[in-house]
Amino acid sequence: MNQELEHSFVTQLEENQNIVHKICRLYTNDSDAHNDLFQEITIQLWRAYPKFRGDSKFSTWMYRVALNTAITLYRKSKRSIKTQDFEGVSFKITTEPYDDTTELQLKLMYSAVKDLNDIDKALVFLYLEDKNYREISETLGITEVNARVKMNRIKEKLRTIINP
Amino acid sequence: MDELEILKKQWQSQEQVLPHLSYNDIYKMLLKKSSSIVKWIFYISIAEILFWTLLSFLVPESSTKFSDDIGLHNILLGVNVLNYSVFGFFIILFYRNYRKISTTDSIKDLMRNILRTRKTVKYFVIYNVSASILLIIGINFYYYVNQDIVFRFMTEDYGISNISQERFMKMFFVIQILFGIVMIGFVLLFYRIVYGILLRRLYKNYKELKKIEV
Repeated sequence: MNQELEHSFVTQLEENQNIVHKICRLYTNDSDAHNDLFQEITIQLWRAYPKFRGDSKFSTWMYRVALNTAITLYRKSKRSIKTQDFEGVSFKITTEPYDDTTELQLKLMYSAVKDLNDIDKALVFLYLEDKNYREISETLGITEVNARVKMNRIKEKLRTIINP
Repeated sequence: MDELEILKKQWQSQEQVLPHLSYNDIYKMLLKKSSSIVKWIFYISIAEILFWTLLSFLVPESSTKFSDDIGLHNILLGVNVLNYSVFGFFIILFYRNYRKISTTDSIKDLMRNILRTRKTVKYFVIYNVSASILLIIGINFYYYVNQDIVFRFMTEDYGISNISQERFMKMFFVIQILFGIVMIGFVLLFYRIVYGILLRRLYKNYKELKKIEV
C-alpha cells in the first residue's frame, strides 16, 4: 500500500516537476538553494499527499503546497548579486524572426519579477501560469477583488521598473 | 503588448530551460528530513516548555526547607498547583494550534497558523517571566517584613555566621535582585536572537498579505 502510494506520488511529481522548478527558480538565487527548496517542497508534498483526494488535478494541488513551502521556508538571506538574475534564466526563443530585443525584454521582465517581495511574486507566478483570479485568490487566501486590484498594481509597478 | 504579457506568452508556449530530475532522484528526496520553519518552531517550543517545566522542579532541597521554616509552605504549594495548571493549559493550546498548521491551506491561513502557534509559546514564556518576577517581588517583600526570622533560619540552615543582620540582609536582597535581572535579561536576549532571525521574513510576508486586504 505504502509502496503503491510512493510510486504514484513520485511518478506524478516527476511528470509535473517543472512547476516546482519554476517556483524554485523564482525564489532562489543559486543552484544549491534551488535544490534545497526543491527537496523541501518534495517532502512537504509527500507529507500532504495522503490528504490529496484527487478531486482536483495533481498539478493544481501542487501549486498551493509548493508556494506555501517557498514562502515559509527559512532561508539565510544572501545578498544576491543583481546580474546573477540575468544568468539565472534562459528561454528557448523560437519565434520567427528571432529577435534580440525580445529576449532582452524578457530577461529584464523576469529579473523585475524576481525582485518583487515573496507575496507579490506568488501572485505573478500564478498569473504567468495562467491561473484565473478565483484560483489565485484561493491559493493566497485573499478575496478575488483584492487579488485583481493587487495584480493591477503589480503590473503598474513592473511597467515603471522596465520603462523608467 | 506589454512586457508581462510577452513573458506570460513565452512562459507558456515554450518551457524554460529547467533542470530535470529522474524518478530515482525524487524518490531519494522522500527519505530526507524536512528543514521547515514549522519543524524548527516545534522543536524550539518543546525545548522551551521543557526548560520552564524543569526549572520549576530544580529547587534545591535546602531552599525548600528554608521556605518551609519561615512559613511559606502553603503559599508556595498553592503557587505550584496554579503554575502546573497554567502549564497544562498552554501545552494543550500549543498542541492544538500546531496541529492546525497545514501546507494545504491557503498561504494566508498557513502563515496565520504558524504565527499563532508561535504566539502561544511566546505567551507561555511571558507568563513564566512575569510569574517569576511577581514571585521574586512577593517573596522578597515577605522576607523584608520578616527579616528577623529570615536571618535566624539563614544562619542556621546555611551555617552563616560572623555577619551582622543588617549587612547580611543588604547582601541578601542585592543578590536576589541581581539574579532576577540576569535571568530576565537572558530570556529576552534569547528571544531577540532566535525568533528575530527565524520569524522576521514570515512576519514581513504576513504583513504584506494583510496589506492587500486593507
